[in-house]
Amino acid sequence: MKTANIVVVIAVILIASTIYYLNNKKPVTHLVEFTAPFVFGRFIIPPNNPLTMESVLLGKRLFYDPLLSSNNQVSCATCHKQSLAFTDGLKTSVGVSGIPLAFNSMSLVNLMWGPRHFFWNGRSSSLEDQALQPIQHADEMGRNIDELIVDLKNNDTYINLFMLAFGEISAQSIAKALANFQRTLISSNSRYDQYLRGEITLSSQEENGRKLFMAHPDTKVTLRGGNCIDCHSQFLTSGFSTVFDGFSNNGLDNDQTLKAGLFSLTKNEAHRGLFKAPTLRNIAVTSPYMHDGRFATLEDVLAHYNGGIKRSKTLSPLIIEADNIPKTQNDHISLNLNDNEITAIIAFLHTLTDEEFLANSAFSNPFIAENNND
Amino acid sequence: MNRVLLIGLAIMLFNGCSEATKSSSTSTIAKTEVTSEQMSIENSVVNIEETQAIVLLSGLPTLGTADSIAIIEIDPESNNFGNILYDYPLPKLDAPMHHMYYSPNGRLYATGLGSQCSLAEIGLVRNAKAEPKINKFECLNTNGQNVGEDIMWHSVNGELYMFVTFMGGSDLTQLDAGSVGVFNAQTNEVIKIIEARKSQVAEGQPFIMFPHGISAYGDRMVVTSAVHPTIATEVGNTVTIIDLNTFEPIETIVTEDSKPVGFPSSPVEVLFVRPSIVEGVEPAILVNTMFGFETWKIPYNEQTKTFSTPEKLYDGATAGTGVPLEFYGNEDELFISHGVPGIVKRYDLKQLPNLVSSGEDIKAESGAHHMIFYKTASGRKLIAVQNNLLNLGDAKDNDPTDIDFIAKLNHHSLTVHDLATGERLGEINFKEKYKKGIDNIEALFGSGFTHHH
Repeated sequence: MKTANIVVVIAVILIASTIYYLNNKKPVTHLVEFTAPFVFGRFIIPPNNPLTMESVLLGKRLFYDPLLSSNNQVSCATCHKQSLAFTDGLKTSVGVSGIPLAFNSMSLVNLMWGPRHFFWNGRSSSLEDQALQPIQHADEMGRNIDELIVDLKNNDTYINLFMLAFGEISAQSIAKALANFQRTLISSNSRYDQYLRGEITLSSQEENGRKLFMAHPDTKVTLRGGNCIDCHSQFLTSGFSTVFDGFSNNGLDNDQTLKAGLFSLTKNEAHRGLFKAPTLRNIAVTSPYMHDGRFATLEDVLAHYNGGIKRSKTLSPLIIEADNIPKTQNDHISLNLNDNEITAIIAFLHTLTDEEFLANSAFSNPFIAENNND
Repeated sequence: MNRVLLIGLAIMLFNGCSEATKSSSTSTIAKTEVTSEQMSIENSVVNIEETQAIVLLSGLPTLGTADSIAIIEIDPESNNFGNILYDYPLPKLDAPMHHMYYSPNGRLYATGLGSQCSLAEIGLVRNAKAEPKINKFECLNTNGQNVGEDIMWHSVNGELYMFVTFMGGSDLTQLDAGSVGVFNAQTNEVIKIIEARKSQVAEGQPFIMFPHGISAYGDRMVVTSAVHPTIATEVGNTVTIIDLNTFEPIETIVTEDSKPVGFPSSPVEVLFVRPSIVEGVEPAILVNTMFGFETWKIPYNEQTKTFSTPEKLYDGATAGTGVPLEFYGNEDELFISHGVPGIVKRYDLKQLPNLVSSGEDIKAESGAHHMIFYKTASGRKLIAVQNNLLNLGDAKDNDPTDIDFIAKLNHHSLTVHDLATGERLGEINFKEKYKKGIDNIEALFGSGFTHHH
């Protein structure tokens, strides 16, 4: 009798342990492998969200799935189309509400580098934090996360993918998966990259544009410059990553019409009107430009810096100071580039287009591939 | 191959810093540059591994080790201090790789002291864990030029070139075949080889002997004539000015007035002090003479494009130092390493081209040579000094490539000091820890882009 009791107790413990183990078993995952240009600099992947193949696969599916929107018609990819370097070609994006949003769709590329604050006004400090915001935004995707989780739990494909990646379906794992897919969106094979690796030589016009891009003008030593480098770093062409160095007021508005920008995050008046300096990778396919999409072409953008700057209290001093002719009128802010120089800078900007990135199947809509297979 | 050279060096060093003797008149030379692009590289990369360095390591034959390129942790506050984080084995070569340089576009190059690989490009990438890895070590075609020393990128009439000094030139059997290779900075192809053998040019015409140090300002470049790589008796005492409009030597200047160890002065590294280094400075060339133990200044008149009579600024023979080697600079100071007794002297950058001390010597170890500047994780500013002249082994180890006297200048160490006080905070002895010698150090990425040597 006594022995029988012991056996029963042991059996119960074994069964309970097995159930506990199965419920808490960590999925076996595999880290993504890639190499990136050393000159992009170091990057940090959150320790609590390792960059696994399983999470990226899941994230890609979520990214392209309109299930994530309240009307099941809008996916992340609606506003972030691969062929447009994950922008949408609109002045400002339009989501489930049909009401134009306040901002132009930002390109999703090389997100592991550059400013560590996301969105034009920097309101999010991580890709994980950023990921759920558009989903829940009433005008963007308008989705209730709890309801989304219910729907995902009723989908066998997602049940499997979530189990493999995270072992559970939750808001947190949705965010992690989307963040990790976006981390893999690395563009490093444009003509500029090939030039940096010594594989090709730029045309003389492109090279002239590159030099202008990289130079802050200095009339004392007759150094002509486009002043781009002051906000867009040499290799990534994004804003700088130290604290808020990647944000700038580039003279789009005067004090009367200045938008909040970074101020909405920091509540610091010195940050009013400062917006994130975006990457210029693939810039030739991401029109229109600026945080509100006000400029339709690169020529418009250059024209802005070449005489269209509006003064305001937080206007970048680097923009005020940059001029290719000695300052004669304090009120006139212009780079004073000539037409050939403007054309050269635009030619250089076209070397930032990475055709391989824009067509890479690793980043493409998985539903299309599935349908084709069907 | 470098053995004979070292023998000569050894003889001199054994003699110590004897009192200076008066000799013929003199002259000088220099080098280095920070372009706006290089500065922007530094600014553009946050999260740089500031406390990691990339080093060239030499296998020491009797210790069973092989040459490699390694990435090491050099933050004395770190538990990993002195640890090799990554090691990339180099192919077996006839001589060690010697200097590393980043190009303005962030490409990494190394010169080599032999004939098999006197110039190489090193491919650096980052893996998915953000770890730096080397994916390429490609020896470049130098069109027969041997014993690479220094590299400088410089724009001439809007075109960027890579200039490399080859102490051995195209023929190591010749007494004076040293050359300056002009390379396409994008394709690495040789565009021109600048040669002017003393034995072949007319009397009084400019010549180049064993180019080592290199520096440039505008359309004027200066290279030194140091020592023949294989023929111990052949030692230079001049610097040569090259007109970059024509790539032709136009003037040779003697920088020597004494022979403290009985050899010609052997100008080694040069620095063309110019406005991009010190705003408003009157340009001049600074020259370190390896066997003269001196630092010279050659004033340059930018308007007339003429160089004045060299002026000796520092005399190691009387100051108790020898074998001055490298020039390095940061935002505030110029640093000069002296292999004997193993110190780094520091000077106020704003006072250049004159040498006005800005603080106490940094006491490194014998063979004080290359250096980098960086910050610890806590923000403390440091300097790391590589203490090693050339890795030819050590006779005590029965190393057939060793020469005793060189061992005196091969401490095989990296010493880390507080930049402000010079206090030594740590030391890594590569021979003791890894059975290897250390040939060169460069910041992994970022801080190394400030003044190169």
